Amino acid sequence: MPLKKIADFKIERLEVLDQEGRADEALVPAVPKEKLIETYRIMVLCRVFDEKAFKLQRQGRLGTYPQILGQEATQVVPAMCLEKKDWILPTYRGQGSYFARGMPLVNSLLYWGGDDRGVKFPEGQNDLLFAIPVGSHLTQAAGFALAAKLRKDPSVTLCYLGDGSSSKGDFHEALNFCGVYKLAAVYLVENNQWAISVPRQFQTASQTIAQKAIGYNVAGIQVDGNDVLALFKAVGDAVARGRRGEGTTVIEAETYRLGDHTTADDASRYRSKEDVEAWKQKDPLKRFKLYLLAKKFLDEDADIRFHKEAEREVEKAIEEYESYPEPNPLDIFNNTYAQNPWHVEEQKRELEAILKTKKERQGPIVTQSEGRFP
Amino acid sequence: MPELNLVQAINQGLSQAMEADDRVVLLGEDVGANGGVFRVTDGLYKKFGPDRVLDTPLAELAIVGASVGMAIYGLRPVCEIQFEGFLPAVMDQVICHLGRMRNRTHGRHTIPMVIRSPHGGLVHAPEHHSDSPEAYFVHTPGIKVVVPATPRDAKGLMIAAIKDPDPVIFFEPKRIYRSIKEEVAQEPYEIAIGKARIAREGQHITLIAWGAMVHTCLDAAKRLAEEGVQAEVIDLRTIAPLDIETILASVAKTGRAVIAQESPKNCSVASEISALIHERALLKLQAPVKRVSGYDARMPLFRLEKYYVPDTDRVVRGAKETLQF
Repeated sequence: MPLKKIADFKIERLEVLDQEGRADEALVPAVPKEKLIETYRIMVLCRVFDEKAFKLQRQGRLGTYPQILGQEATQVVPAMCLEKKDWILPTYRGQGSYFARGMPLVNSLLYWGGDDRGVKFPEGQNDLLFAIPVGSHLTQAAGFALAAKLRKDPSVTLCYLGDGSSSKGDFHEALNFCGVYKLAAVYLVENNQWAISVPRQFQTASQTIAQKAIGYNVAGIQVDGNDVLALFKAVGDAVARGRRGEGTTVIEAETYRLGDHTTADDASRYRSKEDVEAWKQKDPLKRFKLYLLAKKFLDEDADIRFHKEAEREVEKAIEEYESYPEPNPLDIFNNTYAQNPWHVEEQKRELEAILKTKKERQGPIVTQSEGRFP
Repeated sequence: MPELNLVQAINQGLSQAMEADDRVVLLGEDVGANGGVFRVTDGLYKKFGPDRVLDTPLAELAIVGASVGMAIYGLRPVCEIQFEGFLPAVMDQVICHLGRMRNRTHGRHTIPMVIRSPHGGLVHAPEHHSDSPEAYFVHTPGIKVVVPATPRDAKGLMIAAIKDPDPVIFFEPKRIYRSIKEEVAQEPYEIAIGKARIAREGQHITLIAWGAMVHTCLDAAKRLAEEGVQAEVIDLRTIAPLDIETILASVAKTGRAVIAQESPKNCSVASEISALIHERALLKLQAPVKRVSGYDARMPLFRLEKYYVPDTDRVVRGAKETLQF
């Protein structure tokens, strides 16, 4: 019996914009001018928000914060490819995707400021609260898409994840479900090259993350994740495929985490300045701006206006965040169950009594020492 | 003797265990070049190289599963799960294999490995970084659970955990990672697993705790002493198996006990200790045993964590209720 080839696979990489923002016209997706401008505006907002949030943390006005610096395109563009009825499951480094869907900036500040009121999203928003345990939302995304299929809803589920998440068993299990049930899901891998200190080449021996799709018979493609137009094309196509009932797509968007893992990290311990500098040259905002300028969709005045408006919007959000009243400690018990059982209610009353005596005594609220993170 | 904090003491314990036994291998996320996110493994990658200190892909279940395999093969893996909030992902290995292997293979295969993980709140950390999940492990047969409260104990318990023939979960209370310093002997030594420490002697009431909460109890004992109450504070050091002798001897003396913990209350370690005391020393008790505990609700984001984790006031309050019963 001769050895026969029974299958053949290829993996493609999509790039539309070069580093100077020049587009390969044959590949430019049909995205209305207004949407492109709005995308740019939100990306500017993300950049400004990120810088301010970072400074707030350094000034002790915010808790540990994960910067999205450099990932504005992979965050914002995929969310812009969806309709309101579609679901998104972002990661904890997901402020951009939430902002693109209309989440108020103050929510993100509250959450990273350690205030649970930050998770109160506007009504009717199909955005899931991100999961901190990495990758634990991947199978849930398959569940959203499965439910949509069972209910015959033409909605698509967009699940964000990182290169690190692709190492988890959840990734395999989720994509296997997606392949078996042919689900309308898009897994957007923001390959930012680093899972804290572990570089992409030690995360997986696979040449690309996109090719992992092959094992589940779902579509897979790699794109330049700092290329707004490539993302619009790849995600737009994937969403359309999902809506047509043609199944799941894995999109590996190659980008770079320009900041530390979080404000609690110091990336200079494990990566070189040169590496970071090289990626700064591929700035997604800069490239997109050059494209928009060349197309005359944007001029320098409008760009300055976007930046000023973003500054004002972020300042306003910070003001709102810092003028929030103290959270109520009794909120700890809310929503533990649909109806809290006796022991939870009893503990709530216990804390209520403690708070009352503390108020009467006017002593320090907490007498024990607190540690430092990390 | 040099003064070390908890991070440095564990680091020294790991280093000395690795020097003494070349089967000891460290693995986990960011434990190598980065020295761990809390720097507990700082310098060990440089000292022992990539075959002894392994930066793994991001996969907690694989870290523990691979450690199980390595341990059965003959190594002594010490793996790190970066935050206790990522431990639920490894429970498949912990419950189905870690605690059962010795028993189900009639002793043929054993798993002498250690899982290290930070523990507890009050460091203003993000969500899932401030939990106290020890009860899940204590509930599981076949594994030991250690939670040091001092640098000296941390080093000795780490060396003992690595040498132990059974799997050990080693919780590191992150609130006191750097806040306590004490003299730690330079040479290797062991602190016996399963032996509690009397952190303070007293005859009126027994306060029982582990990890960071030991220090809250010591503060509470100071406050009680101002009012003439002498509290005995037991630092359990190991919560599976419990040092039942030390607990019962203290309760026989004081007739009153309060257990303080950060975790939720329902089916917790405090519940088990309380049941044991009631079962074995009922007639010695002057009052029911009290649990001062985290609540049966999710650990909130950090703005409210100080209300969730029992503070000195709550321990004093619990002690007074017990004394006035």
